[in-house]
Amino acid sequence: MALFPLQGVVEGDFVVLLVPVDDGDSMADVGAKIRSHVVGVRVPEEPGASWALRVNGSVVDDRITVRDLGLAPLDLVEVVRR
Amino acid sequence: MPTLSRSEWYDLTRDMNWTPRYAREDDIWPEAQSRSFGIPASAWWTWDEPYKLTYREYVHNQVDKDAGVYAVNSVIARSKLFEGLDPGWRSAIVAHYGAIAIGEYLAALGESRMGRFGRAAAWRNMATFGTLDETRHGQIQAYFPYSALAKEPRLDWAHKTFHTNEWGAIAARSLFDDMFTANDAVSTAIQLTFTFETGFTNLQFLGMAADAMKVGDVDFSSLISSIQTDEARHAQQGEPTMKVLIDNGRADVAQRMIDHMFWRSWHIFALLTGLSMDYYTPLEYRQHSFKEFMHEWIIKQFLDQFRDLGLEAPWYWEEHFLPELDWYHHAIHLGVWFWRPTVWWNPDAGISPEERDWLEEKYPGWNDTFGRNWDVIIDNVRSGHIEATLPQTFPMVCNICQIPICTPSGHRAGKLQSPAPLVVDLDGRRYNFCSEPCKWIFETNTERFRGHLGIVDRFLSGLIQPATLEGALAYMGLSPEEMGTDADEYRWAFAAAGVEAR
Repeated sequence: MALFPLQGVVEGDFVVLLVPVDDGDSMADVGAKIRSHVVGVRVPEEPGASWALRVNGSVVDDRITVRDLGLAPLDLVEVVRR
Repeated sequence: MPTLSRSEWYDLTRDMNWTPRYAREDDIWPEAQSRSFGIPASAWWTWDEPYKLTYREYVHNQVDKDAGVYAVNSVIARSKLFEGLDPGWRSAIVAHYGAIAIGEYLAALGESRMGRFGRAAAWRNMATFGTLDETRHGQIQAYFPYSALAKEPRLDWAHKTFHTNEWGAIAARSLFDDMFTANDAVSTAIQLTFTFETGFTNLQFLGMAADAMKVGDVDFSSLISSIQTDEARHAQQGEPTMKVLIDNGRADVAQRMIDHMFWRSWHIFALLTGLSMDYYTPLEYRQHSFKEFMHEWIIKQFLDQFRDLGLEAPWYWEEHFLPELDWYHHAIHLGVWFWRPTVWWNPDAGISPEERDWLEEKYPGWNDTFGRNWDVIIDNVRSGHIEATLPQTFPMVCNICQIPICTPSGHRAGKLQSPAPLVVDLDGRRYNFCSEPCKWIFETNTERFRGHLGIVDRFLSGLIQPATLEGALAYMGLSPEEMGTDADEYRWAFAAAGVEAR
């Protein structure tokens, strides 16, 4: 378990963020961490909204961990509406 | 006293070029200080400045200028004019002084490098006047804010900024070091005097002077109008330098240098002038939008100059520069406001209902893009959740321009194909960029830039301790009293519904 920096973007936001996660986090955790900086802050909350995670243009399984997905430090994770 | 008219003796006394016999040319003009680009000494001697003056004339003119401007300042200092200025306007000038004052002093170093290592006597003459000019500009833009410290303590940042690691200071130092402090004399003439001074400083110094006069800030207006008269003179070093390069078959050098520094200048000016013109200047006093001013002063006038010299518009002009005029500074403004504790002035949100109508008129689609982000911020302010309008993490920052990476805004505006940053992986380190031109600058000058650590790199490498937001603010030299807050105490958030501010 180690601190792991990622870049994060949420659909509808204006800027790329630095998002520190743990390499043992699931991608669902990563998505929640990225969204916490943006949804309800600069992008409206939508009750019941469903979010997907994209890495290198492909949607990823949000149960897989950062380590097992093979992400590199400062890789970009996009959070988009399903 | 000379009895001849100036035109009869000027050329004789100015042209003090000779072939050295007792020292080697390469030792007098080392390539590191003054790149020759293979052009022989005698070719440089054709260097010819359009506006000629003598030292006697210089002193006479400058004494008159200083007497006038310092007189205005001493009268205004005794009045209540500063206290009565719009808070957003005050923020614009606090930002200006911090970003510019010590940079002017550094420019004196760049001018003095040309004064010693310029490859023609006429050029060294003009650069000596330029050194005096920039010394004047550093002094006067430190003195004016100094005289108002009792009214606005954060004008201390006119001196302090460049001695801190505040992110805007890192961005300004990065630009100015690249442009002149760590640049050879020939490159400085092209990148500082031509690209930056002839083009961009007119934006800040004349555009802002016009807005300042409307706002009633006669002190600032007379100051920066006066500064710009010096600029117009010493900026003329660029064209004769480029003519020597072009006449000797090195137009490629001039083109590449302009392409490089035009882009970097554009981004810093979008940060400084874009915010001031479109958000901090009170609506009733806005003469023009930032985009309109860019079109008038840069796109129209500068393009003509490129073409007169036989050069082309930079390679990124159509695909990257023109599209950014519609969105880039709006993104930077939102970012500066949201990350307001990280700056030394109070950002003016500039989004009252009337201002949003103006923004929509000048930038169609603003309400559907940036407006939607601001709507969420407004809701949080109205419901008393100010903490949700403040940052909990860093933005990613470009490794060339040192400004936050807002590619998602360009993508949303339909001007970029992807919201992703541009990336270069080099020897185990990832470099991130906000745009293709910034990435190009890195890739064509890798050895020059690869060792620099941006603010995010410093955080990730453990240089900022504690590794928290509080630690970062302290690292940036910002005490709680100095951190920016909203210029209008959030009154704009309650304006639309006629709701009482809490």
